[in-house]
Amino acid sequence: MAQMQIPSAGLREEPRRKVRWQPWAKTALSLLMLAVFLFPVYWMIRTSMTPVTALYQNPPQIFPANPSMDAYLDNFVRNRDMLRYIGNSFIIATGTMVLSLLIAVPAAYALARLPLKGKALIMILLLSIQMLPGIMMAMPLFIMFSRVGLIDNYAGLIFADLIHSLPFAVITLRPFFLGLPSGLEEAAKIDGCNKFSAFVRIILPLVKPGLMTVAVFCFLFGWGDFIFALTLSSSDTVKPLTLGLYSFIGQYGTEWNNLMAVATIAALPIIVIFITMQRYVVGGVTSGAMKD
Amino acid sequence: MAKTASIAEGKRKAGRRYKGFSSWNNYLFLLPALLFMAIFIVYPIAYNVVLSFQDVDIYNFRQERNFVGLDNYVQTFRDPVFGTSFVNSVIFTVLSIVFQFTIGFALALFFNMKFPGRNLFRSLTLLSWMLPVVITGTIFQWMLSGDYGVVNALLQSVGILDAPYNWLSEPKTALLATVVANIWTGIPFNMIILLSGLQTLPEHLYEAAKLDGANKWLQFRHITLPLLRPTLLVLLMLGIIYTFKVFDLVFIMTNGGPVNSSTVLPIYAYQLSFSTFEFSRGAAVSMIMFAMLIVIAIFYLRLTSKEEAN
Repeated sequence: MAQMQIPSAGLREEPRRKVRWQPWAKTALSLLMLAVFLFPVYWMIRTSMTPVTALYQNPPQIFPANPSMDAYLDNFVRNRDMLRYIGNSFIIATGTMVLSLLIAVPAAYALARLPLKGKALIMILLLSIQMLPGIMMAMPLFIMFSRVGLIDNYAGLIFADLIHSLPFAVITLRPFFLGLPSGLEEAAKIDGCNKFSAFVRIILPLVKPGLMTVAVFCFLFGWGDFIFALTLSSSDTVKPLTLGLYSFIGQYGTEWNNLMAVATIAALPIIVIFITMQRYVVGGVTSGAMKD
Repeated sequence: MAKTASIAEGKRKAGRRYKGFSSWNNYLFLLPALLFMAIFIVYPIAYNVVLSFQDVDIYNFRQERNFVGLDNYVQTFRDPVFGTSFVNSVIFTVLSIVFQFTIGFALALFFNMKFPGRNLFRSLTLLSWMLPVVITGTIFQWMLSGDYGVVNALLQSVGILDAPYNWLSEPKTALLATVVANIWTGIPFNMIILLSGLQTLPEHLYEAAKLDGANKWLQFRHITLPLLRPTLLVLLMLGIIYTFKVFDLVFIMTNGGPVNSSTVLPIYAYQLSFSTFEFSRGAAVSMIMFAMLIVIAIFYLRLTSKEEAN
């Protein structure tokens, strides 16, 4: 009896007293943690708006007194080099996204819904490819590409980026196809579709959220790539922004406001995509990493 | 209906019935992916294997090559830098994983509670994971820089440091500095995976435990941990694999220096292939790394298949 009463007494009091303030205390706590955790991002933006004179203050001001946009004007308006890098990054990231989707979508569909031999083997192969160190691929690709003229070439960089985005895309998309009801293709066939038109007209529209997630991540892979840009491109004509930022470190050393302005611009598409596509992003993190 | 009828008659008949969907042209869907993987993944790996037994460098890579057997591997194991980079890789990986994992786990437990704004905050933390590594490396380089870095300013103002300390150019701390940056990028990934694992755990077990008088720690110890075990193992395994191959961050922040104090294996392989252009030596180091990753991957695949079987 006594045992029964204690928890029920607790239950009666708890919700009334705690519900009011405790969730909001957690909100406040998480706001604080987030502020600490994302401080580096804040510091990047703050530094980019710090005038050179205030840059080498000790101790530095956490909130700048008079923010300036000089670093942005210098690097993106007066000097146009960075604009070319941004353009290159967009071409490479978009190319990676489009090509990954074109190749991965039918493959993921086949691996999920069509009777094929060797499916398990292909899945294991895809999982293993994700584990390959970039440098292990970069060196043989460098030699291969320098023979066929793919060095300093958008296509070369896009192909290289696909090494990681393609397996990710297939592994992420397959569960979306698996989740569809099983009679779809047969129904489509009765309605006069063949295998390919059923896939394009009936199946694809149903996995739109999956396609969005994969598109977002493949774009980010292409945008963020560094090692292939470093090893497979040498001229400014195809260099992406990541590599531009790196060579900028060497050139301008300690002009941190300029460096951080470039870094902020390089981070901008990520932040925009992040805010507008949040729900697709969270899904992509887990699906690519785990088994289906 | 057709389906249930055909089960007893075996697969052959089912195959005939859905003829259009089970014939050879199913492979057309896979063909582009397989072609791509053959040309851009399998072939380069095979090429890497061959290279590692030859004597190819920048001077002869367009011409005839000689096979030199295991020379590149022997040289690699004799090179003291290889030993240093291996140890650095292990330190980098172990420290990164321990902290990413524990901080990520703590955050996952926190965000598993219900409070206003938790979804927003949870996904905002992902920003550090999604940022291109080059940017992360540059930011941390600036924050950790000697004279005007904000970290030194902070440590001086609370009295931990007397004078500015050059984290990235001191051999004692260069590797640790890269580890800190890597932990920062990895926390959200660990958190999100663990959180999705936590959300699958059945609520009623916790209610029953509460009724039995189990406190939060006991609940964590006897319900959360055992039920989350498969997720934990897979996550640790993946974490090790991903961390072991980190290149960009270290390259940007220290490029392995000073005097190899932060050279990890991918940096070592890069330097051989692209600084001194000893392609075959670089290939051998890649193969050694690959072998290590395969061992971990086999563990990983066995774990996932075990989990699938359950």
